Amino acid sequence: MSMFDTKGKPASTEGRKENTLRKLQRMNTALRHEEPDRVPVSDFFWGGFTKRWQQELGLPSDANPYYHYDLDWIVTVPNMDPWIRPFETLKETAEEVVVKTGFGAIMHKHFEFPMPEMRDWETDTFEKLERATFDDPHDRRRFFEGGDNQIAGVGDGFQRNTPPWIETVKSLRPDFPVYGSIIEVSECLTRLIGQENALLWMGEEPERMGAVINRIGEFYFEMAKAEIEAGAGLLDGFVIWGDVAYKKCTFMSPKYWREYFKPWVAKIAAHAHAAGLPVIYHGCGNVKAIFQDYIDMKIDAYNPLEAKAGMDVVELRRRYGHGIGFCGNSDVQVWETGDRDAIRREVLRKLNAARGGGYIFQSDHSVSSAVSGHTYDYIVKLVREFGKYPIRLGEFEETI
Amino acid sequence: MQDLKILHDAILNGDAKTAKAKTEQALAAGVEPMKLVQEYMMPAMDEVGRRFECSEYFVPELLLSARAMKAALALIRPLLTATGAQPTGRVALGTVKGDLHDIGKNLVAAMLEGGGYEVIDLGVNVSPEQFVAAVKEKGVNIVAMSALLTTTMPSMKTTIEALKQSGVREKVKVIIGGAPITQKYADEIGADGFSESAAGAVTAAKKAMTA
Repeated sequence: MSMFDTKGKPASTEGRKENTLRKLQRMNTALRHEEPDRVPVSDFFWGGFTKRWQQELGLPSDANPYYHYDLDWIVTVPNMDPWIRPFETLKETAEEVVVKTGFGAIMHKHFEFPMPEMRDWETDTFEKLERATFDDPHDRRRFFEGGDNQIAGVGDGFQRNTPPWIETVKSLRPDFPVYGSIIEVSECLTRLIGQENALLWMGEEPERMGAVINRIGEFYFEMAKAEIEAGAGLLDGFVIWGDVAYKKCTFMSPKYWREYFKPWVAKIAAHAHAAGLPVIYHGCGNVKAIFQDYIDMKIDAYNPLEAKAGMDVVELRRRYGHGIGFCGNSDVQVWETGDRDAIRREVLRKLNAARGGGYIFQSDHSVSSAVSGHTYDYIVKLVREFGKYPIRLGEFEETI
Repeated sequence: MQDLKILHDAILNGDAKTAKAKTEQALAAGVEPMKLVQEYMMPAMDEVGRRFECSEYFVPELLLSARAMKAALALIRPLLTATGAQPTGRVALGTVKGDLHDIGKNLVAAMLEGGGYEVIDLGVNVSPEQFVAAVKEKGVNIVAMSALLTTTMPSMKTTIEALKQSGVREKVKVIIGGAPITQKYADEIGADGFSESAAGAVTAAKKAMTA
């Protein structure tokens, strides 16, 4: 069980349900900074959370939070591995597995631990990186065939033979607004060469590394175009997965990010917009130094807005008004306490950012296995009650 | 000494080749290893830390300077050991049990070494027992723990408990850091220090040792 393995019933010939069209309208209205019927709500769930939630709420083993709570949107991931190939199993026991993936990453997944470990990389020198050539970004296997892929397959869970992306999209479409997604260069580099090498080589050979970033940026831009074409008529939006910041600030200087990383995010966003798709950008950490840049690129909503990195949607709304939408920011560390008063305070305070639309309620990253099933249940009820427009938050109302 | 300022600048600018060459030259010319460390190398890393804290340097620059420092230290360390010179402190460093993230930990290792500490890097997924063993067997006086996930941070508290139960808690200072970690959490679990960032780890270690 893992974050991206939700599938609907096999693709049906019936059109989308009325309720799904209402959810789509809710999402799009919010993203246009108008007030829908209520604040949209969804999230990204650890497999460990889903298991715990099933057990604690006495739900069957195939119960899924997206369906159970009728959440407002869901994201899908195609095969974004540079090299489309099955995982090579290097070690496998009942407790753990070590595989080499289509990024050339040696991944260790211990089934008791929430996250995998990247142990090594095939592309382990700058020269190899500069020489590396990838499979066609337009390769139909990425979208129309099943197989192993690192992002869907080795994360909080472990999955082989991920079903064809297009079939996942079609299966979810009757019940949810469905977003496609693409990684940007930063996410590729972490998997292809390791984050430490990526950052070291940026420092050591900034311009040569910049040329590599541009080449990889072009690769994923082409892949995004191919994905949008493959999903034509089926997608409701597009997520760009990035990772350029941590608790303190951006990993690299904002100047370097603007020169080499930003243009590719801008291109992908523009292309998605031209195809009629709103764009949610996912980037962890403290991005305050470059937040205006995302507004300038007309990103429709920023996710996840980690509270632990000092991001706060109420403050951001004060500072940027309705220049950008927000998706996330409810502090999962508060959720994990199980303290109902603290959770209520946290949820209602963040709903202040929903006045005038422009807010999708989610955690500030993902729902971990330290959150109880009853807590998440309570949170959804709170959002559904207090997220109805016009928003009234009583003692938690704040002036924006 | 103008000539030795080149060593300082090489570390500051992340030039490992020059840092190594200058160190070799200086040692061959009879300069005391500890003089190089205390008057040129550590001040260079202090300045790196300062620039990092005020966002003049970012992670790439930190990594380059750390590598230059390491290149110079590799030549000096055997000489210091031979003379019986003691490091500022001996640190057992690791990412806690269940957590497999290492870049933050690696940056902390680099900064602590730059600050004159000897770092015993226990790696990732380090159990409380492994931290205790490092204290008992390797003469460690600082335990530095990193966690990236809220689900693994409780292992920091468990490790402190294990140090107490093994009767070695009073022999070490415990400093912690990582994305979900706060000063409040450090106080709650009885850690001696906390750092928001890798660059702050040296300050946290110094403060903990002198408290």
